[in-house]
Amino acid sequence: MALIELKSVTKIYPLGNQEVVAVDDFSLSIEAGEFSVFAGPSGSGKTTLLNMIGCLDQPTRGEIWLEGQEIGHADQKMLSELRLRNIGFIFQSYNLIPVLTAAENAEFTLMLQRVDKRERRERVTDLFSLLGLDGLENRKPSDLSGGQQQRVAIARAMASEPTVVLADEPTASLDSHASEELLALMQRLNQEQGATFIFSSHDPLVISHGKRVVRLHDGHLESDQ
Amino acid sequence: MLYQLALRNIWRNRRRTLLTLSAMIISSALLILALGVFSGMLRDMLATATEQYYGHLVISAKGYQDDRDMFRHFQSDESIGTVLEQEDVLGYSQRLRSFGLLSRQQNSSPAEILGILPLQEQTVTSLHESLIDGNYLTTEDPNGAVLGSGLARRLNVVPGDQLVFVTQAADGSIGNDLLLVKGIFSTGDIGHDNSLALVPLAWLQQVLVLPGQVHEIAVKIDQPFNAASLAEKYRVDLHETLEILDWGEMLPEMAEVVASYDVSRMIIVTILYIATGLGILNTFFMAVMERTRELGVLMALGMRPGQIRVMILLETTIMGSLGLVCGAVVGIALSLYMALVGVDLSGTLTPITYAGGTILPRLHAVIEPGNILIPSVCLLIVSLLAGFLPANRAAKMQPVVAIREE
Ligand SMILES: Nc1ncnc2c1ncn2[C@@H]1O[C@H](COP(=O)(O)OP(=O)(O)OP(=O)(O)O)[C@@H](O)[C@H]1O
Ligand SMILES: [Mg+2]
Repeated sequence: MALIELKSVTKIYPLGNQEVVAVDDFSLSIEAGEFSVFAGPSGSGKTTLLNMIGCLDQPTRGEIWLEGQEIGHADQKMLSELRLRNIGFIFQSYNLIPVLTAAENAEFTLMLQRVDKRERRERVTDLFSLLGLDGLENRKPSDLSGGQQQRVAIARAMASEPTVVLADEPTASLDSHASEELLALMQRLNQEQGATFIFSSHDPLVISHGKRVVRLHDGHLESDQ
Repeated sequence: MLYQLALRNIWRNRRRTLLTLSAMIISSALLILALGVFSGMLRDMLATATEQYYGHLVISAKGYQDDRDMFRHFQSDESIGTVLEQEDVLGYSQRLRSFGLLSRQQNSSPAEILGILPLQEQTVTSLHESLIDGNYLTTEDPNGAVLGSGLARRLNVVPGDQLVFVTQAADGSIGNDLLLVKGIFSTGDIGHDNSLALVPLAWLQQVLVLPGQVHEIAVKIDQPFNAASLAEKYRVDLHETLEILDWGEMLPEMAEVVASYDVSRMIIVTILYIATGLGILNTFFMAVMERTRELGVLMALGMRPGQIRVMILLETTIMGSLGLVCGAVVGIALSLYMALVGVDLSGTLTPITYAGGTILPRLHAVIEPGNILIPSVCLLIVSLLAGFLPANRAAKMQPVVAIREE
């Protein structure tokens, strides 16, 4: 079985008296170690799909399997646990915790998992040097550039070695230079550490970095290369 | 970790935190001070009544305190049992009482004459501290008298003057004899200042033809508010013809004032803390709502709703505890100042006699544990309650919705 398996997933949002079909009868499977991008125009359902894979949201119909476990109908407690153990999130607007330092942000999920302090430090130090963040450990997010913040966010998502790292338009807030750098880093982490990445974008330049490009339109799968 | 996060969250908006804290501190400190002054007033009232006249407990023949009938007298001997030897008893005074007419030349006035042993009486009442002229009685005085200031004014006497006292004696004859004014007291309690005179016990026993007899023994104890239970305890020890009353039975209105204090205290605390609590609730809610997206991110990272709730509750509890400690410290400091220094209002106010006691024209606090504990505990409860709603709200957030929030 594939790492992630979506079977006829449909997501319908109520909107007043009407319904919005954000994802419509969508099926897809993703293997471990892939570097995939969800591409599509605004409103095509990229965020909705990522949220469902990331256990933040649940499908109206259909099944989602993560490492052989059906997560589409898990309860809240289970979802929290799945997010903690299996999912790494990278958000468009970084979303670092402002009261924590860069290193503390990166350690956060490890702390939630009660990993001991020495091991946390080790992993974060490794990730920081890999991501070119040496010396910034004790800075607060507000004292970092956008590109640096997003790299801390990558460290945070990667620190607990999740099953999959989900990044919803991770470069949308960055300039083209920082975007290139970030994508290169993600690719490197994918190749060197075998981390599975799924990210979304509507920027052709960014999309071109994807090894597998899943094109969406109006909640439908348009193409998969 | 949650604790650290909570601490940092408290300090992220320093100005708001300090404002909220100062609201908590000021309200609880002022409340502690107000309750302290209120208690002080109550103690003054009770003290003026018991320490200027009644004593905390009174032993007398059954029924004497109802009608003060001269014939309900007794010999103070072993019939009193061991009451006066109890360790709660600070002092006692044997008294004989008579009502009659005091006169000097063409001035005369009805008066309550209390025959006392000066050294004993000083252990129960503090009239010797309220002298405005002359001296207190001494054991050597055969016929000295100490008068209330109003009575002295009406009789137009000063220390050194002679007075005639006329009353009915126990044998049916008219008792009368001469008194020599030794001193004049003024307590602020109009009733006693206008009618009370202290004379030697032996002198009055002779005038009333009641040798060796007394009407009452007034007792001072070290914990006035325990008077009722002590009276209960000592009662069994007394001869069956005698009774022991506590100040609450002699001054039922005063007892009611004291009893209603606990209720009024809770009412004041409740009103003040509902207002403070709403302010705190508002702040805590704001602090949570403006962090909606961040809380969503924390959940997306795998923090459980329960942990979010604990974190918010920790924040509010830390704030509450800080406010409590600082408020109590400031409140106790203010109360201490008012206890040691106080504010004298005798220039602008006159004493008010109420429910048998006198409210003195001064602001004077006493430090009672209840006056500090109740505001503190209530502040903690209020901040916990005020934290509970936002904490619940935060824990119920849907991470997808929260993250989308701008
Ligand atoms: N909570 C919601 N309630 C109602 N409709 C929603 C909700 N979330 C998403 N939608 C709708 O679902 C559709 C898909 O939205 P989604 O955010 O997944 O698209 P997207 O591809 O991420 O777009 P964008 O590039 O703008 O981020 C859109 O029509 C959107 O309006
Ligand atoms: Mg989107």
